[in-house]
Amino acid sequence: MAMSRNEITQKLVDVMALTMPENAIDLNNLREDMSLVGDLGLSSVGVLYNVIAIEEFFNIRFDDVGFADLKTVGEVINYIEQKVNV
Amino acid sequence: MNEKFKQYTDEETFSKIVAFPCIAAMWEDRVKTYGDNVAIVDGEVYTYARLNEDVAAFRTVLSENGATPGSLIGILCPNSYGFVKAYLAAVTFGVPAVLMPTHLDEMTVFGIASKFGMKAVVYDESLEAKVAVLREKNPGVALIPSAATADAAMPSISVPAETPAAILFTGGTTGKSKGAKLSHKAILAGTMNGCYGIREIFCQRYLLVLPLTHVFGLIRNLMTSLYTGSAMYICRNNKDMFRDVAVFKPTIMVLVPALAEMALNLSRQFGRNMWGPDLKTIICGAAPVAPYLVKEYDKIGVTLLPGYGLTESANLVSGNPEALAKPESVGLIYDGMAYKIVDGELWLKGINMMDGYVTPEDNALAYEDGYFKTGDLVRIDEEGFLYITGRLKEIIVLSSGENVSPAELEVKFCGIDVISDCLVYDEDGKRLVLEILPRMTRVKELGIEDLYSYVKGEVDKINSTLPPFEQITKIIIRDTDFVRTPAMKIARNLNGNVKK
Repeated sequence: MAMSRNEITQKLVDVMALTMPENAIDLNNLREDMSLVGDLGLSSVGVLYNVIAIEEFFNIRFDDVGFADLKTVGEVINYIEQKVNV
Repeated sequence: MNEKFKQYTDEETFSKIVAFPCIAAMWEDRVKTYGDNVAIVDGEVYTYARLNEDVAAFRTVLSENGATPGSLIGILCPNSYGFVKAYLAAVTFGVPAVLMPTHLDEMTVFGIASKFGMKAVVYDESLEAKVAVLREKNPGVALIPSAATADAAMPSISVPAETPAAILFTGGTTGKSKGAKLSHKAILAGTMNGCYGIREIFCQRYLLVLPLTHVFGLIRNLMTSLYTGSAMYICRNNKDMFRDVAVFKPTIMVLVPALAEMALNLSRQFGRNMWGPDLKTIICGAAPVAPYLVKEYDKIGVTLLPGYGLTESANLVSGNPEALAKPESVGLIYDGMAYKIVDGELWLKGINMMDGYVTPEDNALAYEDGYFKTGDLVRIDEEGFLYITGRLKEIIVLSSGENVSPAELEVKFCGIDVISDCLVYDEDGKRLVLEILPRMTRVKELGIEDLYSYVKGEVDKINSTLPPFEQITKIIIRDTDFVRTPAMKIARNLNGNVKK
């Protein structure tokens, strides 16, 4: 089912609220230029957690060279957009 | 040995935990006993007999490439059948293997191979680019694809127990971290220690998710799996681990606490046990284990056993068979080790300890009175259970099990012109904080109005050169000096997360 960019962003915020409940960033103010490590503070396991949760909630599969190459929130949204709107 | 663990193990199982003089002797025995059992699943299914044939052929490959008993080779492979085959071929041929983390860059690969005087490096073809500099600048080191094979089989070689078997990197897993030399005796002791405290340990199913270049992955997962005639399924990409669980149905997992916690949270969120119905035991270590993990896993019928170990001790120092009763403890210290507690710090010596670091100058500070100084502050209760109460060493152990040397990072960040001094520390074991004292004269010279943005920009540049687990995720700018020692060094234990 096709999703708009806004729908993807909102759902991503919901996923991240589950995977990083203690995160200091206010996810309502998530910006596309925020970096996953530098701004959101994702650890290596945090990245893995998000990948698994995003795959489940969006019903997509990351390629092997998927999430590790994505640096910012915007790049994650682009990637999901491309996968869900095939 | 280890009679104190007898009550936690089935009697017949306990009697099967026996010593071998070297890894080749153990391996030959296991092939004879468990030849038809599945040893490794990595795309294909490999029995112990099939793995043994491939290992024998790979000893020929090593020999044809100039490796001889006593010479050194490197292994640069991701978790794979190729890694297992190359490692077993080397150690059963009397050739110590340097296990090189796959995130090393090509200059570090070249540097380590050259500095250590390796005869050859076995590499996975997906890492071809990482051996490019070595290929060009040091043609004397043979480069062997892990898929290489030979028609002829080379017999294994038994070696004295003290012979070096592997070199594993400690700490930051960069070229600057230390290489710990582990003998056959040490690795086998660590392997056997992994068998105690569990009722059924033989013929289990493991799913490998930790790197084999890490002592916990190599010894507690691979070696104990092979020792016990168990099957080990190699998870090639950890994002697929729960799909692999569904296929392979592991009975034991070896995990760092962050992964155990992640699976617990996902189980709650998705409303199903992510580890599947067959998992009975989780061996958890390489970072402090939160007691609530023990209790929460017990609720879903999984026994989570915390343990304590070091690269320098061939992994396992202690294991906790009474995790529910004493969830804060890392357990009972295994036999074969002598210990003493000096000013709260645990000192160790014994059969599973390393034979020092590769670089002699690293050893001077590591030992005293014949004991290895662990840097961990401990206490032991009246029943002999060990508790970790803190750390002396300036190494941050993240909950993911990754180790970070803050001093190495601070050197990098102090190179930023507006930073007069800085401190790196962790927040809840999950992320790294950089606290800085600005050099105000320079800030004024440059006419910087938004110091935070300037520092963040510079930090981001350095972050981009670091692996994700070493990257700074929070910056604090101080307006007063750090608390300092009499020698005017930053008092690490009086600053940072201590004061929060």
